[in-house]
Amino acid sequence: MKMLMKEWKLCMHPMGYLMPLCAALILVPGYPYGVCCFYVGLAIFFICLTARENHDAGFTLTLPVSRGDAVRARILFCTILEAADLVLMGIMILVKYAIGFVPNPAGLDAGLALIGDGLIIFTLFNMVFFPCYYKDINKPGKAFVFATTAVFAWIILEIAATYTVPFFRDILDQPDPQHMSEKALFTFGALALFIAGTAWSEKTAEKKFEDLDLSL
Amino acid sequence: MASEKNSPLTVRDLCKNYPSFRLDNVSFSLAAGEITGFIGRNGAGKTTTINAMLFLVHPDGGEISFFGLPFPENDREIKAKIGFVSAGMTYYTRKKLKVITDVTRSFYPGWDDGVYRSYMTAFGLDGEKTPAELSNGMKIKYALALALSHGAELLILDEPTSGLDPISREELVEIFLKLRDEGKTVFFSTHITSDLEKCADRILFLQQGSLKADDTLDGFRDSWRIAECSGELPPALKQAAHGLCRTREGYTVLVRKEDAETFRAREATLEEIMIHLEKEADAQ
Repeated sequence: MKMLMKEWKLCMHPMGYLMPLCAALILVPGYPYGVCCFYVGLAIFFICLTARENHDAGFTLTLPVSRGDAVRARILFCTILEAADLVLMGIMILVKYAIGFVPNPAGLDAGLALIGDGLIIFTLFNMVFFPCYYKDINKPGKAFVFATTAVFAWIILEIAATYTVPFFRDILDQPDPQHMSEKALFTFGALALFIAGTAWSEKTAEKKFEDLDLSL
Repeated sequence: MASEKNSPLTVRDLCKNYPSFRLDNVSFSLAAGEITGFIGRNGAGKTTTINAMLFLVHPDGGEISFFGLPFPENDREIKAKIGFVSAGMTYYTRKKLKVITDVTRSFYPGWDDGVYRSYMTAFGLDGEKTPAELSNGMKIKYALALALSHGAELLILDEPTSGLDPISREELVEIFLKLRDEGKTVFFSTHITSDLEKCADRILFLQQGSLKADDTLDGFRDSWRIAECSGELPPALKQAAHGLCRTREGYTVLVRKEDAETFRAREATLEEIMIHLEKEADAQ
């Protein structure tokens, strides 16, 4: 908790507050809604960039904490932002249905399956970004480029799948409440993937940060 | 050398290899309640030694213990008893000091708000300011206030007086002496040797990654003398010389105390010793 407070009070970047609000893009017709998650990845990049500019690692490692504590706190903090984004996406989906649902030609429709899609996007982002970032914390841009590439590759595949893959086209990309059990299964599967992937990311990042020589 | 068992810091055979630099089996032990000056020219390896001591960089060999406890195995316990201050204190330059303090305080069960306030007042620091608004000297004082408020028994300072004006340096030296009077141990790297002349009890001299001297300040200074020569160096002096420096009048050379009478040499300052030994190393 102390480390989370440290992340919030000293490392939080204004983008961390603003980018989850991009969940409101779900209200825009014909928008690839998976991109809402990318904006949170952008906020995470800015947080790591700010941490570098403020010599956060040098400060943190003189506190009575281990390197592993520092990695866990940062990833948990970023995961909270991702969760906040998903909650806001959920709210925006409800708002969209309340004001009148319009099918989305650019990928999955707004609905429960979109939350599952967001979880997959965050899983990919976390699995690529954090191990790469903690290999060299002075190069968050490199980690962000790799993670963004993975995220957009998935978003393109997901959009293509809504036209070509029957499970996506005929089940996930249909308005709620159609096929809710399949969509719930997909979303819970994505949640399990998110938990496992982020846990793997944390362990890998921790190992890389343990091995890193810091030039402070 | 201090007794290792009771020493606030013991470093044994510390090594770190880089493609163009090698920290070579550095060993020393600090005595509690003393100010130890860690001197050497820029690039000698002072910061690398400190970073390796704190495992900010991974040593390729060697053992480190603080207060008799191996590091980094006992890192949390040890870090609660030490304070590290690096030159410039460049952390979170746009955050208010009170915010940085609030975060720092939460990590130390032994944090003393009364002590913190007294140091903030004594150092003329305002919690509403940000590090960006502080002079370099004030940044160091703030970092010291944080370290002292959690009851650090050992202060490790990396070039704390670097870039400060003479008055600010003098103020810091007085603070270090006051801390020593309170029983704190201060380990202080610098290349500004005149500061150490005023406060250090011991001197560690690092040259090209190797520890060349570990002695009391008086003992180290007393080992050497400076001989001055207005013209060509006599062969005997040339043979006894450890480093040659050009001056307006001619040359100065460093000689061993035993040769002092032969060459009518005078006492040497710490700076003269360091410069001449570095000149000697450069010439080799």
